[in-house]
Amino acid sequence: MTQITRKLGTWLGNAFVILLVLVMLTPVIYMILMSLRTGEEIAQDPLGLPSGLFLGNYVNTLASMDYVRAVMNSVGITLSVTVIVALFGSMAAYPLARSTGRWGRAFIMLVALGLATPAFVTITPIYVIFRNLGLLDSYIGIILAFTALNLPLAVFFYVGFIGAIPGDLEEAARLDNCNDFQVFWYVIRPLLGPATATLSLFVMLMVWNDFTYPLLLLTDPDKFTVMIAVYRFVGNHNIEPDLLFPAAVLGSLPLLVIFLIFQRRIVSGVTAGAVK
Amino acid sequence: MSPKLIRTLFLLPALLVLAVFFVYPIVLTFYYSFTDFTGVGTPEFTGLKNYDRIISRPRYPEALKVTVLFTVIVVTVQTLAGLFIATLLQRLPQVRNFARAALFTPAMMSFVIVGYVWQFIYAPYNGGLNALMTAVGLEGLTRGWLGDPNTALFAIAIAHVWMFTGYTTAIFLAGYANIPADIEEAGRLDGAGSWQRFRYLELPLLAPSVTINVMLSTIGTLKTFELPFIMTRGGPDGATRTLSLEIIENLFRSYKFGFASALAIVMLVIVVIVAFIQNKYLRGREDVT
Repeated sequence: MTQITRKLGTWLGNAFVILLVLVMLTPVIYMILMSLRTGEEIAQDPLGLPSGLFLGNYVNTLASMDYVRAVMNSVGITLSVTVIVALFGSMAAYPLARSTGRWGRAFIMLVALGLATPAFVTITPIYVIFRNLGLLDSYIGIILAFTALNLPLAVFFYVGFIGAIPGDLEEAARLDNCNDFQVFWYVIRPLLGPATATLSLFVMLMVWNDFTYPLLLLTDPDKFTVMIAVYRFVGNHNIEPDLLFPAAVLGSLPLLVIFLIFQRRIVSGVTAGAVK
Repeated sequence: MSPKLIRTLFLLPALLVLAVFFVYPIVLTFYYSFTDFTGVGTPEFTGLKNYDRIISRPRYPEALKVTVLFTVIVVTVQTLAGLFIATLLQRLPQVRNFARAALFTPAMMSFVIVGYVWQFIYAPYNGGLNALMTAVGLEGLTRGWLGDPNTALFAIAIAHVWMFTGYTTAIFLAGYANIPADIEEAGRLDGAGSWQRFRYLELPLLAPSVTINVMLSTIGTLKTFELPFIMTRGGPDGATRTLSLEIIENLFRSYKFGFASALAIVMLVIVVIVAFIQNKYLRGREDVT
């Protein structure tokens, strides 16, 4: 009897969870379905299904939004930021993970403050500094801004990761007369792969999806990231559904595809990053 | 080379970046906040005038109230929903991994896209929500959700919660994974039911996950800007005008750099105080249990 009740309970639970998932994914499905319908169809029947595989909206959207260019910009900025953040972050983390004096602790405090401080607190001076240095509307400027934003997280990340690497390897290298820089470059750095992979996920998510920084620092359409391209495009068209939804799908598609492929890694990576 | 010098050399690149793009800007923001800086020319020192204005005009305490209300709604609903779903998934191993990934999907999307899609869902005429309500016979309750001051903030809060509930759930599930299996087993052998195990074993042991979730979502929500910026521009009648929206509008609509800086300092102080209190209270709670 209890066996049957338990089975029934599990069955009901599973059914409830699947229903919940469906409800939660409704806006995503809605976005995709609507992108395949004409504005007229949506106005007549807001909840209807697409009558066929109508791609006209996409043709129109791609014709007036420089999508490929924006994707290339986002990818290039992501890669640059990842490389710089990984290098600077792991370098700083190495001495911090091995021994913490008074200055080391002060540095960690600074990094923690950097993690909690909203970007709005620094955005005004950064805008002024960039303008004075001629970094507004430049790739270098936006890369530097994102680097500064992601660096605190990277330092935290690598301190935890390097702290877990046993010291024996370094000792052996030191006995072979390696100096600290050689130890870092030839012993520590090659072991950081998994941490760097997870970190790059964070950087990618932020660079791809962040809106505030590129909104304020970029005005040249040739340098727009994807989100700012979507914003300018949709904003100029008064929220017409037959342009809004395809632009929304195109804007999310690359990350959603990546998520579909690496979902397990991304969920556990982002969660682990938060827990640390 | 002395070990101390070598340590410094390792720290130097990161230190430089943080000094130029984090510490120096904060100092500058603080300085601007006492001036009438408009972005060009030399800032004129005006003492506490900006701060006085923030306190004496009803507009700014109102924005603060909107920000806090929004944060309280989002953090409460998101934490409870995440805890509930994670607890459910913990007991249902067959659907756990699938549901965790599926619920996480909205967190992959940008605020910009989420804002536009939900704005259309809430649209008064051909929007999805009103159409759905009409279809199930609730047309009496349909409205322009974002145009009504009574519902606009809640409508945006729902879109925000929708985005991050999967994230909260994943963090709680990681907390569940850290609970030793023998503790759960002992509870089961003692005849504890599902609810009793949750209330007396799991909930106390999940305290660190509660801390992380509440602090992360609080810090993330106090600075809410994108969703109201995209969906309502702060309207109707200031019902969704958050502090960060006010900062950006002052900055790039009216070029009041000094005043925007004062608002930013207010925001920083609030975030630091709230984070400090939460950290103290929630961590203390972890030790008791």
